[in-house]
Amino acid sequence: MSDAALLNVVLYLPVLGIPLLMAAPHAGFARGVSLAVMMVQFLLTALLYARFDGAVEGLQFETRLPWIADWGVYYQIGLDGYNVLLVLLTAFLGPLVVAGAFTAIQKNVKLFYAVVFFIQFTMLGTFVAQDLFLFYLFWEAMLIPMFLLIGIWGGEQRIYATLKFVLYTAFGSILMLAAVIYLVYSINQTTGITSFAFADLYRSQLPLSVQTVLLLAFGLSFAIKVPMVPLHTWLPDAHVEAPTAGSVILAGVLLKMGTYGFMKLGFPLFPDATRLLAPEIMTLAVIGIIYGACLALVQTDIKKIIAYSSISHLGYVMLGLISIDLLGIQGAIIQMVSHGLTAGGLFLMVGMIYERCHSRELAAYGGLAKLLPLYSVFFMILTLASIGLPGTSGFTGEFLVLLGAFNSSWHQYQQGAGYPLVLSVGAVAGVVLGALYMLWFAQRFLFGGDKAPHRPLADLNLRETAILGAIAASVFGLGLFPDGPMQKTELAAKQYQELVRSERVAGAPPQQRLVATEPSTGSAP
Amino acid sequence: MSWQTVLTAMLPEHLLLAGIVLLICIEIASSRPRGSATVSLLVLTAAVVAAAWLHYDGYAAAPFAGQYSVDPASLLAKAVVLALAAPVVLLARDEFEHSRFYLLVLSSLYGVCMILSADSLLTLFLGLELMSLPVYVLVLLAFRRPECAEAALKYLVLSGTATATFLMGVSLLYGASGSLAVPTFATALTSGADALTSAAVVLVIVAFFVKAAIVPFHTWAPDAYEAASVPVTAYMATVIKAAVLLAVLRLFGTVPLSRPIIELLAILPLVSIVWGNLAAMRQMSFRRMIAYSSIAHAGYLFYAFLGDGPGRFEAVVFYVLAYGLMNLIAFASLPPSDDDATRDHLDHLRGLFHRQPYAAIMIGIAMLSLAGIPPLPGFIAKFLVFKNVMAAGYTTYAVLGLVASYLGIYFYLRVIQYLFMSPEERAPEAGRGLALGAGLICLVPALLIAVLPGWVIAYL
Repeated sequence: MSDAALLNVVLYLPVLGIPLLMAAPHAGFARGVSLAVMMVQFLLTALLYARFDGAVEGLQFETRLPWIADWGVYYQIGLDGYNVLLVLLTAFLGPLVVAGAFTAIQKNVKLFYAVVFFIQFTMLGTFVAQDLFLFYLFWEAMLIPMFLLIGIWGGEQRIYATLKFVLYTAFGSILMLAAVIYLVYSINQTTGITSFAFADLYRSQLPLSVQTVLLLAFGLSFAIKVPMVPLHTWLPDAHVEAPTAGSVILAGVLLKMGTYGFMKLGFPLFPDATRLLAPEIMTLAVIGIIYGACLALVQTDIKKIIAYSSISHLGYVMLGLISIDLLGIQGAIIQMVSHGLTAGGLFLMVGMIYERCHSRELAAYGGLAKLLPLYSVFFMILTLASIGLPGTSGFTGEFLVLLGAFNSSWHQYQQGAGYPLVLSVGAVAGVVLGALYMLWFAQRFLFGGDKAPHRPLADLNLRETAILGAIAASVFGLGLFPDGPMQKTELAAKQYQELVRSERVAGAPPQQRLVATEPSTGSAP
Repeated sequence: MSWQTVLTAMLPEHLLLAGIVLLICIEIASSRPRGSATVSLLVLTAAVVAAAWLHYDGYAAAPFAGQYSVDPASLLAKAVVLALAAPVVLLARDEFEHSRFYLLVLSSLYGVCMILSADSLLTLFLGLELMSLPVYVLVLLAFRRPECAEAALKYLVLSGTATATFLMGVSLLYGASGSLAVPTFATALTSGADALTSAAVVLVIVAFFVKAAIVPFHTWAPDAYEAASVPVTAYMATVIKAAVLLAVLRLFGTVPLSRPIIELLAILPLVSIVWGNLAAMRQMSFRRMIAYSSIAHAGYLFYAFLGDGPGRFEAVVFYVLAYGLMNLIAFASLPPSDDDATRDHLDHLRGLFHRQPYAAIMIGIAMLSLAGIPPLPGFIAKFLVFKNVMAAGYTTYAVLGLVASYLGIYFYLRVIQYLFMSPEERAPEAGRGLALGAGLICLVPALLIAVLPGWVIAYL
């Protein structure tokens, strides 16, 4: 089988698994089937990852078929440096999500795994799509299974939380849809070509005002998903009410769809507007880092602490992307994966303790280190990775992002703009705050007084140890050996840098022509 | 005009007429007519096949020159509308044993066919009336509550007003141009300089706004939809709505629109989208909710006329097809109940997933598609409409329309919430086989549209 076909198999495997699930005679069988499907998907993705050549520019394993020929829409998918790590992360978290829900989900088991499969399909589709129409299709289709996942298996306020999530996200999407249509047809009017392919859109020439409006429309949709302050208010509700699997998917992959959107579409499509708005975007990113950390500091609900820490960590990703510095961009990509691993792992661990003690209140816990030694070890590993201890994935990501941010802001400082430098210093303060809230959290949770329920608690069983072991291993792997992943993403980071630095304001020639043919219109827009 | 042309060109109509005669004979001959549903289903299938075959053959003829003509496009539209009516008949088999229902539906469909082939405004008028008159009776047919009579009367009076408005417009147009041919209207649209022609154009458009339930001429729709029984509501929401919009399409043709008409065609439909979506949020009656949803969808459909000429046919037919299929799926999957008011209440849908999982999934798919969420057909249809509006340069209207469509997401999601997120209360029950079958029949083409939209669009 060719590699391109293999990528399609990876993408559609979860969908093909849904009928199998529906035919499952009982819940146990459904669990087994879904774990098997997810494992196969991960192994195939790992194979693709191994075969992915970081030295080749552009798409690999590409499939391109006419889909809606009349509109110039192609079914085009493929791997490149932008998405290869995120696809691997998604496929990696799949089996863990499924296995993590074995005991937690007892209601509507078959539907649960079908929904998880559908989410997996749409998330992978969003990452591999290379056609804007296809991207939008997957992007928006992801709403529905997520709506069901939180709404059916969530906590007490689940309906409120899930509606809030969908209505927030859909509002961004509808404006993005308008922007997509406008973008494609305004290009059509100047060049006569109707194409939704990313590669073609990267060559677009648009006036600065149009670029700005379109960047805001795309950016609103992506910023809601990241989420960037002040559009983040759906996130704590969704995280707290979602079942463990939902939280892991949300934190692990879904939030990265927002940053991926900025990296693949928002910034490179509208480079001039991006550079114009860079200080504002950078400000929002740093506000997110610090504000998220401050909010995480004062939460009493365990899930909310991790939810707000996500806002802070994704602020680093945005900072790295907007620095337009090679190291910063690569750091942002690593940080995305790292946050997927650590936040996903921490939510899984919260789920495990919730199954045992049925409480998410931090005040109900304390002294777990004595009761659950193995659990505590894993929890500390993920906590330290989240802080960014050298040797873990968190360090690689955050360090590179900060390096990139300083690099670019120092450059700007020399040219007379001191503001970015101030922001970069602020981002460093976020690192200190991050250490503060995570360590304080771990101290109260694992070590503080002996508040734990006075009954013996079972430590991690084999299944849970395997799940957490896999996550811990990848956290260290990415921290100690970041070379491999960085080589695979290097060319993409360079391409992103070139694209965002390119001048693509609709040039003088068309304006001159306009003025020449219609002198009465005066200055053309 | 030769008899052969009349026979061939009007084959779908002849088949419908034969069905009507046959049903009358059955009604007279037998005291307990049983096979009327089967007969009408067979007749409908034959008519669809005939229309599709003639379309495929590229047949074009004018059996009555200046009054009645067929071409591949109109045959395709006929095939689509008649095919949408077939599941309605399947749905009705559980509700109406008497042949009256089928007689009325077939007569109404004959009117639809006339509209789609009309070359003169008078033929169009005849078609519109023939289509509407049986529906007034249909609304009243399952007379259950006194409100039904009120709703039917309301519909009759308002629809009658629309007819009068239409005739007024037509006569003004005749006075201005001296012609009753359909293209006269298109010419009037482009020129439209003098007051007489402008008044004629506005009157005709307003008449169609009433028939399609565009705000502020929509008040009959929620009442009529709620009062009628499920198959009749399904018929009104799909076939009648489709026929009215296709009639507008026939009138407008492919002419580019001039400025004042654009405003009329953009603002009222926009208000419809907003109001339909907002009002639907508060409804607890399923059919009433669908009525408001159909008011919003009529808005999207009129938006299609803002686009450039050649794209209109594609957009309207695709939209009507996707929208009709989804409504039919939803109506076919509604769980049965002894009491119509209970059945219609949204509470009846609570926890349906635990009682009838497949019916719940079908209604869920229908709602998401109506909300325009990809990858379902409703999204492609909406994309097609807004793409044309945007490409024609009406960016502001397109953006406003899209934002207004966002308002509609909530009430469709509320249905999903009722279906899937309420605790199970009752034991699992069996669905009605025939109705669910009708739903499945609609699901297959709907999924085809979702997976291969390019193929369908290229065909239109």
